[in-house]
Amino acid sequence: MSSVAPLPQPSNPSATQILDALDTVLLGKRGQCTLALACILARGHLLIEDVPGVGKTTLARAFGGLLGLPWKRVQFTNDLLPADVVGVSIFDSKNQEFQFQAGPVFTSLLLADEINRAPAKAQSALLEAMEERQVTVDGVTRELPDPFFVIATQNPGEQRGVFGLPESQLDRFLMGISLGYPDKEQERLLLANGDTRTEVDAMQPLIDPKVLLQWMNEIDEVHMADSVLQYLHDLVIASRVEQNGLSPRAALGLVRASRAYAFVHNRNHVLPDDVKAVFASVAGHRLTGSVLAGAAAAKTITDNVTAP
Amino acid sequence: MKRPTLTLRNNAEPLVMEATSLYALAALLMLVQLPHVLNLPIWISVFGVAMITLRVYARRTPHDVKWRYLFSTPSITLLAVIGAALIRAHYGYFLGRDPCVAFLFILVSLKFAEYRRSADATLLLGLSCILLLTQYFYSQSLIAALVTLPAVLALGHALAVLRDPTHALAKKPQLRLIGKLLLQGLPIALMLFVMFPRLPGPLWSLPDDASGKTGLSDTMRPGDIGSLSQSNEVAFRVEFEGAPPPADARYWRGPVLTRFDGFTWSPEPRLVEAYPGSTVPSALEYTVMLQPHKQNWLFALDQAVSIPSKDGSITPIGSVSDFATLSTAGQLMSRDPVTRVLRYTQRSAITGHFQAPVKPSQVELNVPNNIPRTTTLAKKLRAQSSSANDYVNRVLNRFNQMDYRYTLEPGLLGNNPVDEFLFDSRQGFCEHYASAFTMMMRAAGLPARVVTGYLGGEMNEDYMIVRQSDAHAWSEVYINGVWQRFDPTAAVAPERVENGLRAALPDGEFNNGFANSNAFSWTKKAGLMWDAVNHDWQRMVVDYNNRSQENLFKKIGLPSFALWQLTAFILAISAVWCLWMLRSPLRKKPPLLPAERIWKKLETVLQSQGIEREPAETPQAYLERAYQTLGRGNEELQRIGQTLMSARFAPMTGKDAEAQAGQADAQLGQLRKTLQS
Repeated sequence: MSSVAPLPQPSNPSATQILDALDTVLLGKRGQCTLALACILARGHLLIEDVPGVGKTTLARAFGGLLGLPWKRVQFTNDLLPADVVGVSIFDSKNQEFQFQAGPVFTSLLLADEINRAPAKAQSALLEAMEERQVTVDGVTRELPDPFFVIATQNPGEQRGVFGLPESQLDRFLMGISLGYPDKEQERLLLANGDTRTEVDAMQPLIDPKVLLQWMNEIDEVHMADSVLQYLHDLVIASRVEQNGLSPRAALGLVRASRAYAFVHNRNHVLPDDVKAVFASVAGHRLTGSVLAGAAAAKTITDNVTAP
Repeated sequence: MKRPTLTLRNNAEPLVMEATSLYALAALLMLVQLPHVLNLPIWISVFGVAMITLRVYARRTPHDVKWRYLFSTPSITLLAVIGAALIRAHYGYFLGRDPCVAFLFILVSLKFAEYRRSADATLLLGLSCILLLTQYFYSQSLIAALVTLPAVLALGHALAVLRDPTHALAKKPQLRLIGKLLLQGLPIALMLFVMFPRLPGPLWSLPDDASGKTGLSDTMRPGDIGSLSQSNEVAFRVEFEGAPPPADARYWRGPVLTRFDGFTWSPEPRLVEAYPGSTVPSALEYTVMLQPHKQNWLFALDQAVSIPSKDGSITPIGSVSDFATLSTAGQLMSRDPVTRVLRYTQRSAITGHFQAPVKPSQVELNVPNNIPRTTTLAKKLRAQSSSANDYVNRVLNRFNQMDYRYTLEPGLLGNNPVDEFLFDSRQGFCEHYASAFTMMMRAAGLPARVVTGYLGGEMNEDYMIVRQSDAHAWSEVYINGVWQRFDPTAAVAPERVENGLRAALPDGEFNNGFANSNAFSWTKKAGLMWDAVNHDWQRMVVDYNNRSQENLFKKIGLPSFALWQLTAFILAISAVWCLWMLRSPLRKKPPLLPAERIWKKLETVLQSQGIEREPAETPQAYLERAYQTLGRGNEELQRIGQTLMSARFAPMTGKDAEAQAGQADAQLGQLRKTLQS
């Protein structure tokens, strides 16, 4: 039976190209890459939870390169200050005035590495930026570039020197995914071919940033049938049976993520399968605070809600 | 506003209530109470209406302390107690129909005055239903049923308003809702009427509150029947099996009177029961629907040859029936006074004479001493006669030949009424003639008695109406061992027997408003039509009893059920009906879209291949699984999968969706074919 190929699925040619390129640097992580792409297309921030060394940073950097977006990286440490993220005003003695030195947040793709190693104050500095897509320093509000994404990585909660992200901040990440160790086969290939880091650095943009913005707008047009919306809502309601359910913001995010996922599959309409596919990544980290534990919680919900 | 110094917890509750439900309930209660105004003393009605009016008036100033005290629980309780005491004082007893209905009447009004919460409204609706039903304790006629109709409509209205008092519906949807409510109840009501187990008799015998006896009485004085003949009221109706008897044979025997004190005829106080059997070859069968006359006797045509029984079967005379007997005087008696319309089936022989079970006694020969002239004449005539029959004919001839007049206005008679009538005034109504004739017989040594009852009856469609104006009195004389019927009135005014009272009386004397009208005028026709409708109501609705139920079941092929079976059946049917009705809001959900319908079909087809969809399985995943496991028909499955996925979830116009669904249906057919081959 395994000889039968899966049902042919349509997919967006450009999106396929991006995913194929990601495949070359992240072996055997097509599913996660697809979710990550959908997350970005849905203008969502992405949280990657994993042990160090499985390719979190590679993924973020590859995205930056493939989408042709300027990107910066902040390594979160336990002595990180908010100013290290958003920037600081420095007195310019030449011009006799304060001049704003923009922090790394002023970019399109911000890679926040090991976000849960920083204390709460530094974490919350990202908060406004992620939600409002603007930064206020010394009473001056500054717009961030459009698009603006945060791809944050976090170490599993049980590790030492970790400050767990508060729920409010977790809720700001549209998706949380986990890469996990590669398959046996893939890992062998990886070992044989050596480090892919140089390939990542050499990646050329596959789409124009303008096209990316256009895609983001098109996603809003993806049709969601009443029955699918009902299914989505049922899932959200089912999540609330336990104490920490999905917030309306999370539900809205689920809608956007489902649309983006459908878009990646070159469809102008959402299938219940799209909703189910993104549900774990949208709901997991919100329900439990951890992507890995959340995936199991989300599965319990999707296994018990009747699909249309 | 000044705070009241006295604070009772209940009083603190203001009488706030939205106007619509208050008015709806007030209207309902007024309509429910209205028909009772005729049955109850006037002060009860005034009290009830006053409480309702006050409560409605108080709505304007719900925080007024005055109202809050008047309608507080202690005050309402006090009023109820006072009401009960007054009712007890008025009637002299409490446990009976009238006082209990009166008390319910007052309670309903008081409950309304106390109205504060919506739970009160529910209770009020129930109470008003009961009060509405108590009307049928008084009358079960068609009119009574029609009178309750406005209240039933008001009940529907109140239900519709109380559904959601703060969001009143517009007039049209409101009316539609009321209509729907009533229509939904109708099948249940009909089924309950037809199916509900009937007991052979009334569930409880209602105490006979009103003692207004109507119709014939068990005594007869000159003028009694004359005054009765002015009444157009229906005495009873009769349905005949086969053709009705001819006009001159319609003698409906009622009270048999044997004692005469010179002025008043009265019955033998002790009537011997259990009439011995007799065999009469041909008998007429008929069913009488006797209007309640609060007396103990029934009416039978001429010579009764059977005794009616409760279940409608016919018992031969000589045996004892469950509720009626035939006295030795040949009078059909019921054990209890007739207080509701009584239906009985009876058999009679048209013979004009009655078997005498016992020899006549001295009572039937007794002559009072205030008829000396009559006695003398009788003796003289008897001496001239060759036989008893010859004597009877001579007496009848005398009435016929001499100047006797049949009239409703015989004038006043003195201390010797029979003598004065026979020899002086010679004007009289049937009771005068029957009385005088009977005396003539007795004075001549022939046992004789007066029989009262009805003579005549008018056919209306397929049944006969016998009215009070048909009341009559005649004589029976004991000759050759039988009681022979003689009607002296027939000797004076033969038209009375043939054509009824109107034809027999002199012009202008007949003042019976209804029957006085021209026989062919429209009022007469309308009256008869109305009577026919009433009669149908009586026999089809009111008289629908356990026996008619049994017959109906037999007719439609149902076995006769045990009581518990019938109850269970009714409950089950009602439950199903209610569930079906309650389901209706769900039913209004738009029907399945065509694409959804075909998706369900596809699921069934795949299920038949052993691939059942888990409830939580998403459609694409399900198709994928089917695709992997099916082994054949994959191309077809892929095609229909694509079509259905876009038909179900992609944006498209209704027309396109239908076209897609049609395409999917065709593809499903192909898939089926492939799977079956």
